[in-house]
Amino acid sequence: MSAPKPPKGHFNILYFASASSHTGKDMEALPAPLPLRKLFDTLEERYQGIRETVLDHSLVTINLSYVEMPSSEDEDGEDNAVVIQEGDEVAIIPPVSSG
Amino acid sequence: MQNGDTNSAQNGSISSVPRDTSRPLTEEELDRYSRQIIVPGMGKEAQLRLINAKVLIIGAGGLGCPAAQYIAGAGIGTIGIVDGDTVERSNLHRQVGHSTSRIGQTKVSSLITHLRGLNPLPTYVAHTTHITPLNAADLISQYDLILDCTDNPATRYLISDVCVLLCKPLVSAASVQTSGQIIVLNCPPTPQGQLDGEGGPYPPCYRCCFKKPPPANAQLSCGEAGILGPVVGLMGVAQAGEAIKIIASALHVPPPAEGAPRAPPVEPTLLLYSYSLTSFLSPFTFRALKMAPRKKSCFACGEGSRERLTLEGVKNGEPNYEFFCGLGGGPKAGVLSEEERITPREFVERVQRKEGKGKYVVLDTREKEHFSFGSIEGAVNVPFGKLLSKAAQLERSGETPEVEYIVPPEVKIEDEGEDVPIYVVCRRGLDSQEAVEKLKEMGLDKGGKRKIVDIAGGMKAWKEQVDPSFPYL
Repeated sequence: MSAPKPPKGHFNILYFASASSHTGKDMEALPAPLPLRKLFDTLEERYQGIRETVLDHSLVTINLSYVEMPSSEDEDGEDNAVVIQEGDEVAIIPPVSSG
Repeated sequence: MQNGDTNSAQNGSISSVPRDTSRPLTEEELDRYSRQIIVPGMGKEAQLRLINAKVLIIGAGGLGCPAAQYIAGAGIGTIGIVDGDTVERSNLHRQVGHSTSRIGQTKVSSLITHLRGLNPLPTYVAHTTHITPLNAADLISQYDLILDCTDNPATRYLISDVCVLLCKPLVSAASVQTSGQIIVLNCPPTPQGQLDGEGGPYPPCYRCCFKKPPPANAQLSCGEAGILGPVVGLMGVAQAGEAIKIIASALHVPPPAEGAPRAPPVEPTLLLYSYSLTSFLSPFTFRALKMAPRKKSCFACGEGSRERLTLEGVKNGEPNYEFFCGLGGGPKAGVLSEEERITPREFVERVQRKEGKGKYVVLDTREKEHFSFGSIEGAVNVPFGKLLSKAAQLERSGETPEVEYIVPPEVKIEDEGEDVPIYVVCRRGLDSQEAVEKLKEMGLDKGGKRKIVDIAGGMKAWKEQVDPSFPYL
């Protein structure tokens, strides 16, 4: 079953595994558009400490496709052009190790 | 007839995959495997590839048991199983290849007993040991395809690195609580450092997907965080499914000599499964995520990786997997002073028996499922994660809270308005130390006026020192 459609001017962000325990949520809608390189800052502002404990080692997808996270240092780099658009589905996927 | 996929050991370290798919099937094989042979796309050749294949299952637990059942059932000819543990009763809700009558046996022999009952034809090889940097290459080199069914990040990186070095396809899965993930790596098997040229893009390894492990204190194990049987079971079954698919279509075959046509690249996909116990709206979710191919910058398989990662290096402790995964130093502990710690026995003698109700507060930072089995009398449950998120909210607002702020609104603290000491307890005594630090950072110690104390060793020590009948999970 898919997530509900985000409200106008928003994108959905899904939190898996430890991302979900850190935020206390499975998903939420955030304002769009948002440049990909601003995503981690935006989340850190809302959930302090999430960058170090979750985001730095997680993989990120937009609309079910892996995206390379731009490093925040080279802000004008061409690779950083990705912008999260209204209606997109972003997912934060930390590695799981147990079995 | 050799079916065009003849193979010889092109490289000293690569075992040769037997290619004879021309012999007839025996009557027993034909009967036993008939229902899968007649599936469109399978056929006799695919079945013989399965029979000729050697698969190594690393870990005989929640992933390894269901995976091994289907690997054995399908008739994979040689099945190696690696595990150094013995069967415990708390394994059995998910590790369905063991049995109550085999508690205490090694997991490897228990699982092989089960598999022999299912299918006596394969050769089963017992490797009753944990996988380590010392034995990894010897184990993996004997097989054509590897299933990572282990339970910790250090071995995940080790197995992936050695599979890259030995050019083996790897089916990796993991699961904790209510979520699982599975991905096929290094398939078709591609030599380390190969990035350009025909046949690309090339498949990723574990490090291409997860460049670094989570910090040690954020890693959950099934023993601590819990795991639902069907969730990990699904992932294990899916691993067997991928392995059978890869072998049946000969994708496990090492690349032919330079210039020869090779199998087309497989689109790397991570399958994610999450299952919510609390939401009826969305009982379960599968998501297939498109992953990136092999990364130029990857430590293990990217540009210049041959200089960084070698079999000799791995054997000699380079890279250091334990250190990389933050396990070397152990969890952050020992930052508290002696006055900030008390043993459970001292707590009973010096606090519970001497001080009346309302003269102290006990915070229990375990999850509510643990707390529901009991706690120290009068303890208030504030799960560690909730405490951290409250602390983070507070840091933003810049206020100094009263103790009421951190406990659930329905709990009334009977502290008679004084700054009575706070005692913090958790499961094993690690989170509680961090919680004491956090509470101090939040200003709840009122600049030293209020004592905040860790009950050392958690409820585990409580059971040992105070109440042997305590239901510690």
